[in-house]
Amino acid sequence: MTDDLKKPPAAAQTIEPVIRLDSTSRWFGNLVAVSDISFSVDPGITGLLGPNGAGKSTVLQMIAGFLRPSSGSVLVRGRSSWRNDKLYRYTGLVPEREAVYPFLTGYQFVLLNARLHKLPNAAEATARAVRTVGLEDAQHRATGGYSKGMKQRVKLAAALVHDPLLLLLDEPFNGVDPAQRLHMMGVLRELAAEGRTILFSSHILEEVERLADNVLVIVSGRLAASGDFRRIRRLMTDRPHTFVIRSSDNRRLAAALIEAPSVKGVELIDGGLSVRASDFGAFALAVPPVARDAGVTLYEFVPADQSLESVFSYLVNR
Amino acid sequence: MNREIFALSLRQLLGRRRTFALIALALLPLLVALVFRMGDTDTDPVDWTANGLLAGLIVYVLLPLVTLVLSTTSLGMEIEDGTIVYLLSKPLSRAQVIIAKLVASWLPAGALVSLSAASSAAIALPESEPSLILAFAIAGCLGALAYSAVFLLLSLLTSRALVFGLVYVFIWEGLVTGIFSGTRALSIREYTLGVADLLTAARQFDARLDGVTALVLMVVVTIAFVALAIRRLNRFETRSLF
Amino acid sequence: MSLSTEPEGSVYDLGYRSYEGVRLGRAHAILSLYWVSFRGIFGLGRHTSSKILPFGLAILALVPAVLQLVGVAAAETVDFELISPDDYYEFVQWPLALFVAAVAPELVGRDQRNHTLPLYFSRPLLRDDYVFAKMAALSTALLVMALVPQAVIFTGNAMAVSDPTDYLRDNWRDVFPIVASGAMLSLFWSGIALAIGSQTDRWPLASGGIVAYFAVSWILASLLVNSTDSELFRYSLLISGFHVVRAFTLWTFDVTPTPVRPGEDNSLTGDLALADVSLYVYALAAAVTVAIALFIVHLRYRRMAL
Repeated sequence: MTDDLKKPPAAAQTIEPVIRLDSTSRWFGNLVAVSDISFSVDPGITGLLGPNGAGKSTVLQMIAGFLRPSSGSVLVRGRSSWRNDKLYRYTGLVPEREAVYPFLTGYQFVLLNARLHKLPNAAEATARAVRTVGLEDAQHRATGGYSKGMKQRVKLAAALVHDPLLLLLDEPFNGVDPAQRLHMMGVLRELAAEGRTILFSSHILEEVERLADNVLVIVSGRLAASGDFRRIRRLMTDRPHTFVIRSSDNRRLAAALIEAPSVKGVELIDGGLSVRASDFGAFALAVPPVARDAGVTLYEFVPADQSLESVFSYLVNR
Repeated sequence: MNREIFALSLRQLLGRRRTFALIALALLPLLVALVFRMGDTDTDPVDWTANGLLAGLIVYVLLPLVTLVLSTTSLGMEIEDGTIVYLLSKPLSRAQVIIAKLVASWLPAGALVSLSAASSAAIALPESEPSLILAFAIAGCLGALAYSAVFLLLSLLTSRALVFGLVYVFIWEGLVTGIFSGTRALSIREYTLGVADLLTAARQFDARLDGVTALVLMVVVTIAFVALAIRRLNRFETRSLF
Repeated sequence: MSLSTEPEGSVYDLGYRSYEGVRLGRAHAILSLYWVSFRGIFGLGRHTSSKILPFGLAILALVPAVLQLVGVAAAETVDFELISPDDYYEFVQWPLALFVAAVAPELVGRDQRNHTLPLYFSRPLLRDDYVFAKMAALSTALLVMALVPQAVIFTGNAMAVSDPTDYLRDNWRDVFPIVASGAMLSLFWSGIALAIGSQTDRWPLASGGIVAYFAVSWILASLLVNSTDSELFRYSLLISGFHVVRAFTLWTFDVTPTPVRPGEDNSLTGDLALADVSLYVYALAAAVTVAIALFIVHLRYRRMAL
């Protein structure tokens, strides 16, 4: 599934994927939060998508070394993430909790993180990180007075200050206004283009759709799907695909199409024809000859439910 | 010890309201001493100071309360707010984090307690008794360290560390060791009194542990609890949400 | 969409329905809040970890009662009094004080921290009703903690005697003081605990504050009384939670503390004897303190921005 991704400009140094989970489970007493999940993450942006309570945060916390897997393994760059101090040299975390130290200014907070990382040029790295997230104007104000969006940005700056290879973000766009969200997405895209690995979680489809090259769908603690979401869609052959066709004579085309074996249903809708097909490939091949034989000209042929939304709701409702 | 974390913790702990309340608490013994001095009574001042003021108000009440508040807050607040992530997600040994937090909560507590003890005793005593004053100032400081270590570990184990700490101090150290004298060896209050006993010739207060034993136990307990806290932090897991 | 009577089928209106039934009034709301709060104090209906402290302290409060019963059984006579009813409250003052310090801040702090107060006040519940319900819950909880051990001793003693009604006839006069002192203790300490606990939503700190009140006022008052002959400081015991309760108990049991010389008796009773203030003054002081405490709580909730 991961060969769908374009290879990043700087080729990965190791053959190992950056993150690898192998039959990983985590339970809290009787409650199973994560159940037998296996996946790997390569450089680029990967989105962890799932409804609330699905286990996304648990997965992220395990990768970040803050939870120990109950069974299975969680490897980051080939080494277990649990009790691995060196992990933090190349990993940046943006946690979900809103709280930062309210008495510190934004600059001081990022500087604190830089110093804790023992960076030789802490002040310079801090200035750079603050610039990257666009907080120069507010950097000398106490973070206690920051808006939600600004707090997210300062957390991102703190996570970036040591130039990490891996960035883990837990619901980074929660409660952030659209303008700041757009800006943050731009920042993340640039970072990914430099060869970094970014893994973020969200329950908002639009965010994942917009930002992630690769998607991991987690539902009820299990991995429901992974890869490029368009590919995922195509793999779900047991669910009919829906297409919208505009033609010169919709009714005649409808009558002709219903005879094709790959067509499950046809419906006349406003401005066209809605066709449900079971086999995308066979259907795509079948339509042109059918239309030609019926003497109908095709104007438009569009897959109607390729959005992540339909994929997602299908997976969740399964 | 990590200097950044130490400085950060100090700033965190000494917010305006908390510092104000703690200083007010630490000034009370001075007020009482003043009242005593200005009143006229035939109570022996050394006896009153050693027993009532120092062993009573300072060691029995001020010392545990001040250390409890500071040391359970230092890690407890970070864990509750979630800001501890920023300290743990660094290439720092967890031991450094613990030691920095410990010192940051111990220093203000020790300072407050020993200053309060020294000044109130100095006020209450008409003739200077340096050995008594110094003994309690030092013992108070060391007692603060022992209490801080214990409460620091407690705050790693439960979010209700402060209340459990109160139960330990006032039920275990207060009632239980009073009734079952064998448990004296498990009471930091007794260690403190024992150490004070070691450092002064004044015999007016009741230290039920032998001085050297008390000192040794205090050191052992402090080191043991710090080690346990480091071990616990090494295995720190985000608390489950349930 | 409305109900249709066409033969082909009907469409039903499943939209919003208003409630036309009986609405239980304000009194019921107060009662419900009281009951929920009372249960919450003991951790009933919550995770097991919230039951540890209240039940643990309750067990501690029962220990002397159990010991007394065991003693009576062993000595085979009711005249064995390890702890007499009027001394009982002094024995368990720390468990009870810690109980109120542990539960009161969470009782009023949780709603503040979780911002659930607007939910309460958008019902026919006035702010003072809220305060009343919380106070009632806390004081009845404390009353249970105080009286159950006493009841255990009393009935235990009665059963030990061959004819229980004999015991009852001899000791019925004790019942009123026991209950009255228990009630006074509950109201007094609950008022103070609520006054302190309602000030902040960081409730562990408030717990420390309540214990600080008990411990500091106790030692402070004791030191002041013992250290000086001044007229003013004779009344210093009025500020101490432990002393006032002890005084009230002695008053209801009609026991006068035996006079002592300074430094001779360091117990509560000794301090009271030294201060030599008429016991009913303490009762008055308690009443005044509760009134002030409740006023503080009332102010806090009146001024609180939700």
